[in-house]
Amino acid sequence: MPFKRFTQGNPLLTLGLIVGGWLLVPTAVKTFARASFFELTAPVNLAASRVRDLQDFWALRTRSRTELIEAGRDLARVTASFELAVQQNGELRAEVARLEELLRLPPLRDHRLEHARVARRDFSGWWQRIVIRKGRDHGIPVGAPVVFSGGVVGRVSEVHATTAVVELISSPTMRLAGVVEGDTRPISFQGGVNPTLAPPRGVVELMPLDIIANSAAPKRLVTAGFGGVFPPGLTLGTIIRADLASDGLFKSGAVELDPRLGTLTEVSVLVPVAPADAPGRPAP
Amino acid sequence: MRRVIILLLTQVLLWTLLAELNHGLSGWQVHIFGGALFVVYPALQLDRAPGLLVAGAAGLLCDAHSPVAFGTHGLLFAAAHLLLFRARARVPRQDPVSQILVVLFTNLALFLSLSLLRLLAAPAPGGAWGRLLPDLLASQLTLAVVTVWFLALQDRLVRLGDAWAERRGLHG
Repeated sequence: MPFKRFTQGNPLLTLGLIVGGWLLVPTAVKTFARASFFELTAPVNLAASRVRDLQDFWALRTRSRTELIEAGRDLARVTASFELAVQQNGELRAEVARLEELLRLPPLRDHRLEHARVARRDFSGWWQRIVIRKGRDHGIPVGAPVVFSGGVVGRVSEVHATTAVVELISSPTMRLAGVVEGDTRPISFQGGVNPTLAPPRGVVELMPLDIIANSAAPKRLVTAGFGGVFPPGLTLGTIIRADLASDGLFKSGAVELDPRLGTLTEVSVLVPVAPADAPGRPAP
Repeated sequence: MRRVIILLLTQVLLWTLLAELNHGLSGWQVHIFGGALFVVYPALQLDRAPGLLVAGAAGLLCDAHSPVAFGTHGLLFAAAHLLLFRARARVPRQDPVSQILVVLFTNLALFLSLSLLRLLAAPAPGGAWGRLLPDLLASQLTLAVVTVWFLALQDRLVRLGDAWAERRGLHG
């Protein structure tokens, strides 16, 4: 067995053979293998997530009745406020649809909300992702925006049968267009370095020179709505620093993101719907 | 093959524990990387081919859950396995201190390799080290604590599997 002896004596040659062989494997096979490995371990993720839910359930069972009554009262107040907002929202949607019809504008892209529990959070210095407990079976597409009560969470990057992976806006490779609240000029937003024991951060570039933001007078950054993925006006974060960029034509700066991004337990996926199916839109 | 299956199951257990730990630590923006634990036992205790299979499969498992080119972890783990396998004759394999040192050095090499690969795509590679170094420190501290337990668990399960097979008259 001279070949066997040769490879045993030369680990680098063995590694070279493995790398060469791997490069020759067709992409389809690699994609299939990746999906298979993910789906094989998906039940582990889901089981761990449900065990955590069960722990929370039993922890809540220890609360006294007085606390539950108080929580129910507070919830009723919040629900009343939201019911009013829902009515106003319905009227505004009908108004938008009427104006679109009147001015013959193309309809705005509409979404339905698909709420999902977070099965796993994976926040490293290399990437920031979460796995949610809904996937292809619930109609979630790749690229769908994901939001929570504090604003934008990120974008669906992978969809599997019962789970989906969301790339967070704090991820260094995430980039999207934003505007300063009350302004219309687009700014480039990108996830940044997320320092340890501190809220997640992002960076902004191509910011107009007349926009002044610092920690004493921060500016709210919202989605621009360009590109058709994210609806306009969703909160991205707060610009806490803006300095002149090296080219002297624009400013660049730092954005502080919502600290709750690090402890998300439930998010909503904005699943695009056809204009005819959109709620509040009159049937043709 | 029996040992490979047992070790693959322990790798899935390790991956689950690390995922749960990182889930819990996400609020503090701390991430534990334990790549070396997937590699060291197969490299120090198994034959070359089965060890390579276990390390490579563990790498592919990590790849499936990471936004990197599929095979990145697999090839890094395979490389670490081959280098450790070559050096294992000079390592006291049953000594806990040696085991910990091997794991720490291997983890350092894997962490730096993966960081260099990822930083090529980062917007500000220089600033990223401010986050990566605390992560590396936390990872090394964690591994220093759990290495002996995890290697002992793998060793115990392999021995139990061998004893079971011996009672049944099975081989391999």
